[in-house]
Amino acid sequence: MATQTDTSTTTTTETLRPTRWLPEDLWVHAALVGSIFLMAMPLLLAMIMSTQTTSEVYEVTNLGIGSQGLANYWTALTEYNFATYLFNSAAMSLVIVVGKVSLSLLAALALVYYELPYERGIFMFILLTLLLPVPVRIVPLFQLLADLGWTNTLLALTGPYIASATAVFLLRQHFMSIPASLVETARLDGVGPLRFLFRVLIPMSRGMIAGVCVITYIYAWNQFLWPLVAVTDKSSQVVQVGIRYIQGSAQAGLTRWGLIMAAAIIALLPPLLVLVALHRPLLKTFAIQQK
Amino acid sequence: MASQRKLYDSRLQAALLLLPTFVVLTAFLYYPGLATFRLSLYETLFLGQQTAWNGLGNFVALATSPAYRNSFVLSVVFAAVVVLGTLLVSLLIGYLLFDVGTRSSLYLVAAIWPYALPPAVAAILLSFLLHPNLGIVTHYLELVTPWTLDWFNDGPQALAVLAIIAVWKQLGYNIIFVVAALNNIPQTLTENARLDGVGRLRMLWRVYVPLISPTLLFLVVMNTIYAFFSTFPLVDLLTSGGPSGWTNLLIFKLYRDAFEFSNLGSASAQSVVLFVLVAVLMYVQIRVTDGYAQYGA
Amino acid sequence: MADIQLRDLTKRYTDDVLAVDGIDLRIHDGEFLVLVGPSGCGKSTTLRTIAGLEDATDGTIEIGDSVVNDVSPKNREIAMVFQNYALYPHMTAAENMSFGMRSVSDFSAEEIERRVADAAETLGIEELLERKPKELSGGERQRVAIGRALVREPQVFLLDEPLSNLDAKLRVQMRAELLKLHRQLETTTVYVTHDQTEAMTLGDRVAVLNDGQLQQVASPQELYDFPENRFVAEFIGEPAMNVLPVELRATGHGLTAAHEGFTVELPGTTDRAALGADDRTVSFGVRPEDIALASSLPDGAATFTAEVTVTEPLGEQLLLHCRVGSAEIQVKVEPRSQVAVGESVTLGFDRERLHLFAADTGETLYHSARPKADPNGRAEQSHEPASSEGLAPEAEPTG
Repeated sequence: MATQTDTSTTTTTETLRPTRWLPEDLWVHAALVGSIFLMAMPLLLAMIMSTQTTSEVYEVTNLGIGSQGLANYWTALTEYNFATYLFNSAAMSLVIVVGKVSLSLLAALALVYYELPYERGIFMFILLTLLLPVPVRIVPLFQLLADLGWTNTLLALTGPYIASATAVFLLRQHFMSIPASLVETARLDGVGPLRFLFRVLIPMSRGMIAGVCVITYIYAWNQFLWPLVAVTDKSSQVVQVGIRYIQGSAQAGLTRWGLIMAAAIIALLPPLLVLVALHRPLLKTFAIQQK
Repeated sequence: MASQRKLYDSRLQAALLLLPTFVVLTAFLYYPGLATFRLSLYETLFLGQQTAWNGLGNFVALATSPAYRNSFVLSVVFAAVVVLGTLLVSLLIGYLLFDVGTRSSLYLVAAIWPYALPPAVAAILLSFLLHPNLGIVTHYLELVTPWTLDWFNDGPQALAVLAIIAVWKQLGYNIIFVVAALNNIPQTLTENARLDGVGRLRMLWRVYVPLISPTLLFLVVMNTIYAFFSTFPLVDLLTSGGPSGWTNLLIFKLYRDAFEFSNLGSASAQSVVLFVLVAVLMYVQIRVTDGYAQYGA
Repeated sequence: MADIQLRDLTKRYTDDVLAVDGIDLRIHDGEFLVLVGPSGCGKSTTLRTIAGLEDATDGTIEIGDSVVNDVSPKNREIAMVFQNYALYPHMTAAENMSFGMRSVSDFSAEEIERRVADAAETLGIEELLERKPKELSGGERQRVAIGRALVREPQVFLLDEPLSNLDAKLRVQMRAELLKLHRQLETTTVYVTHDQTEAMTLGDRVAVLNDGQLQQVASPQELYDFPENRFVAEFIGEPAMNVLPVELRATGHGLTAAHEGFTVELPGTTDRAALGADDRTVSFGVRPEDIALASSLPDGAATFTAEVTVTEPLGEQLLLHCRVGSAEIQVKVEPRSQVAVGESVTLGFDRERLHLFAADTGETLYHSARPKADPNGRAEQSHEPASSEGLAPEAEPTG
């Protein structure tokens, strides 16, 4: 934090050091604060509006905290099924995170620590799935899950996401960065694969696993198109599509925008809190992904 | 080096470890992926009840369909605007963050949070704030500028609104990578520029941008994929493709043809087009990354 | 050209680390001054403060006649060369050299071109101008980095460990070239290094720093012969000076230093008080090259015995690790001396080259030789010209 050093220096030696860096730095800080504020402004406005009644919302420039307090949130959770949606989203994300990380750990273990024939081919088989995002396979995928009778189930929501090239790739990269000498120690000690996985690899990969979990969680929570296709029964739907429903049903008469804003914030808060809490492992993991 | 890591040689164990991943990838990725290609060669009759061999008919139909060509052009323009807009804004914000020192994680988190923003939430928030009649942003925008916001009826405006939302949501991801790349530049380059009196903007364009160009290219690819694939909620919640098809992006048209009009053959052909797009982008990405590998920055 | 004056220069970081602790130093116009010290001693911070890359917490920096604390780096008329060269990887050598000048509007295109050509000629890098850094070897990159500093035609050159990334052979070669360049340009130069050999060979004067404090500034030979304290004595010279605790004893004709393994007369001493020693116990310093095998000493010289524990043939000399009483000393002897590990050897000191340091502060109390100049007022304590007991000339320090 070079600039903070500079500023504090200025205060300690008041007469000697007027403002050599200060004006320019102030400008930079101001520009930064300004752009951050602009980025956050829609969120702040939405939070204000989410407390307002419909008539307060319709006074366009009313920026006071509304008379509804948290009532809109309560209405969304109870009358508009958002409690159910939240639960479904949580279940979907949890299954995807746990499933994807477990499967990827096992696959990466095999790729890095086992003598494999056609190792490169196996790795390419996994990596090439990057070419197949959901929209590329959505029609047959929908038919497949319908044929399996999984429509409207958690299986349909999670199955297509539970294996991933990215997670295997990241864990493989990380395993390869663990010093070979440690592996050789394990070899000398005759450590079995599962013990090696749980006692050596996982403890040494905590940061990376946390990062993969955050990325996967945010990705899963924010899915919209696939849940919309795979789930037609409202009681099994996730919160992102719930926004679509509440947008539709709140439009009878005057649109209850305060209620919709509350619903949107409900759908946003979980991933936002996870990001704020776990941004460090997330950033580290991204740093590796880029290489 | 590699062989040092080879602890175990049981092929059975290795197969068991890989099996779950292989099953899921085969069942839910490769099989539907290949089936897309097969389906794209069939014509769907009676709302999906029957199919008939159609050869490349679906592709020919797409190529000659004014609606599809419209969607294609729109999507390309939309992607170009989103990619450039996102890069430009995140480059500027990322540079400011780099300049003040990103160890202040408060600033950093305040700048990257849109990474966690669900596209549906981004869409619904801005659809209200930019609402032609009720939006507070609309209100003040119309107060200080001569424009009138009417994206319910004005096609180009609707596309612009979608682009703004798409950029906003994608800023977090881009800033993460821009800041990381800038922080990887040796500090002495910056110090040397200070001794030389090189201005901040000149430094940005002449030194930093060239040096982080591999990262910027990676972001161009990721942002393009995002603009084509992840912007469905925006169209779905805001415009449903309208007004008059102005926001009927490829991904939205694909969804509608498949699940509203049950035109599975045509939808699959559209999926194949998207596949080709991803494949080309990935190929470019790999080629350019290899090209930069010797760059050693 | 300009001289540099640091007055009470202090740099404290926010986390209360005192990197530079009140340095007073004058660097003369045209001088090549080397700042040397162990890592973390504040030498780089001092240099960066002169450059303006760090702000001084306290004290002043003058370049020429003006205080530059509040002058931005670009206006200080300095140029700096960094350890990692800091070349822009996407620009050619010529672009690297001219980028800074092109960034400010003060120079015409012809002027820039002329300066780049001149610098390239001076450094012999005309052929390399159109190459990018990745197409250059380490030594060539360093030359381009120096060239970039040259084109600014600065009042002061600042070099921060510029040779550390080069291999040993190239380092020696570049050292000579830097000296030649400095002789040609006569620009005031401040050079930071952790390598005392580099410091000794390059500097007109060498400033030794430790813990953010200036230990001594002097010419290389003076640092070597007359270190002002134990830190400088041990830092300069390879291998380091032997320092052992001794007891001072008064005899009829002066003081002797008594160690459990030897006793040596200290030429020219009268009593402890005259040395300024408060205590009977002091630190006795003698360089490995100032101890010799008795066989190469003149007859009648005072000697002592020691047991050889390790022998290290260095080629031009043989380094012995010896046990004297409970202490370990290093001795440099003739390269082909017949000495085996475990053997007892008879050794003697060069009595011209003995040093005493205060046991607590490490301050120098005594040099047995007399300084040529009189840098610190302690010269009176040295003894009369060498007596017949002195060592043979071949035991003179080799530096």
